[in-house]
Amino acid sequence: MTEVSSDIETVVESSRLPRRLKDEVYETIAARGVTAEEATAITDAVEDRYLDTRIDPLDPVGTVSAQSIGEPGTQMTMNTFHYAGVAEIDVTQGLPRLIELVDARKTPDTPMMTVHLEDEYAEDREKAHEVVWDLEATKILALGDISTNVADMLVRVDLNEGTLAERWPTVGDVEEVAIEIADIIEDSLGVDTARDGMVIEFGPEQPSYRDLFRLVEQLRDVTFKGIEDVTRVVIRKEQLADGREEFVLYTEGSAFGDALEIEGVDASRTTCNNIHEIFRVLGVEAARETIIEETMNTLEEQGLDDVNVRHLMLVADIMTNDGTIQSIGRHGISGSKDSVLARAAFEVTVNHLLDAAVNGEIDDLNGVTENVIVGKPIKLGTGDVDLRMGATSREGRPAEGDAESESEAQAD
Amino acid sequence: MVDVSQHNLVPEHAILDEAGVETVLEEYGVDRTDLPKITRRDPALPDDADVGDVIEITRESRTAEKALVYRLVVES
Repeated sequence: MTEVSSDIETVVESSRLPRRLKDEVYETIAARGVTAEEATAITDAVEDRYLDTRIDPLDPVGTVSAQSIGEPGTQMTMNTFHYAGVAEIDVTQGLPRLIELVDARKTPDTPMMTVHLEDEYAEDREKAHEVVWDLEATKILALGDISTNVADMLVRVDLNEGTLAERWPTVGDVEEVAIEIADIIEDSLGVDTARDGMVIEFGPEQPSYRDLFRLVEQLRDVTFKGIEDVTRVVIRKEQLADGREEFVLYTEGSAFGDALEIEGVDASRTTCNNIHEIFRVLGVEAARETIIEETMNTLEEQGLDDVNVRHLMLVADIMTNDGTIQSIGRHGISGSKDSVLARAAFEVTVNHLLDAAVNGEIDDLNGVTENVIVGKPIKLGTGDVDLRMGATSREGRPAEGDAESESEAQAD
Repeated sequence: MVDVSQHNLVPEHAILDEAGVETVLEEYGVDRTDLPKITRRDPALPDDADVGDVIEITRESRTAEKALVYRLVVES
């Protein structure tokens, strides 16, 4: 904090401003060099403006949020692929991404992770590559050639020594890797293998063309190293705030829980764009945080960063209110409203009315939608405040001339 | 296992004692069941938290300094 005299500090500290605004006031005061009286005036003015901009009781914040996100939404692109910064990785952006987020889809269209690395891994390209190979799913086609020997009913795999050495940098001997690969083939395909150096051969139990080709098909799907769901990893050098550089990995496909377990991965900064995975691994609060972050990023990417973050915070709060992730919409929040009329007004009107009739539901008319439908004042803003003129006399007091009982505003 | 509480996205979770719960419910004028919920299986929950406990979450707020929010632990 910048230097200010202690009496100015007492004035600012005793105001009802949040920390951030207090700091800003200090900054301004210190930069201008003002007197104690001026500082008090400044603080009072800031406090007035701050209290003025707060939401009034009974303000319809949800409606305001809906419009504040909805209007910019009309200016979003219908579909854009490509991620700002990492051109090689395709990521759903724009309106489809926003819809995907508020619908709380189980898996996003283009799942991805941003993997940060621990210090020694982040600075050394070789070390960073170790993590890449632990993440990226390695299939047999990346390791060598497959050929089928129809005469002897054998599948033959010629492993590429160079590739093995590259992808298993921690294992010294390539032979060992070849043994490991043979084991994986035996386990996942249920066949016996014969290995000679870099060549692995195996075949079906009974000579059969169909089984032979089926084995080749299965072999292509086996993951030998890395995480099954991670199909591609891009490594990028990024500038840190303090001027240092670090390697950051971007993945196509995600497996957040598994990725955090990998050695070298910084489990405090690594994130993923699948809110359900975050929810499973880190809990609701982290999911809430991710919803805000992802929606904000989606809007920002489209140049709509003037949407106030409070609206997105409200959306995230409501989506995570019951301890799990609920979608906004018919299957989530809107569908679980108490009022029949409110639900019917949203989507699939007839179904809701029919179900309600069958179950004998009662509508208490507490919400906004249902009161608009029946033509009653809604319980928002002035609609929820009763104003009573003092006509009745209270015990022990004269009915007239008593200022206190003349009018009385009461909110219930 | 990864220590979930170390992740940047996870704010501090602490069990609120009964006296604290009373104060909070009084301040907001709500019932215990009106609070937002957190499931018992939530990975960020303190180990000794049980159904019916109120969890105090200290968020690093985007708009204010620190934001205290409360969640009631519920079954699933």
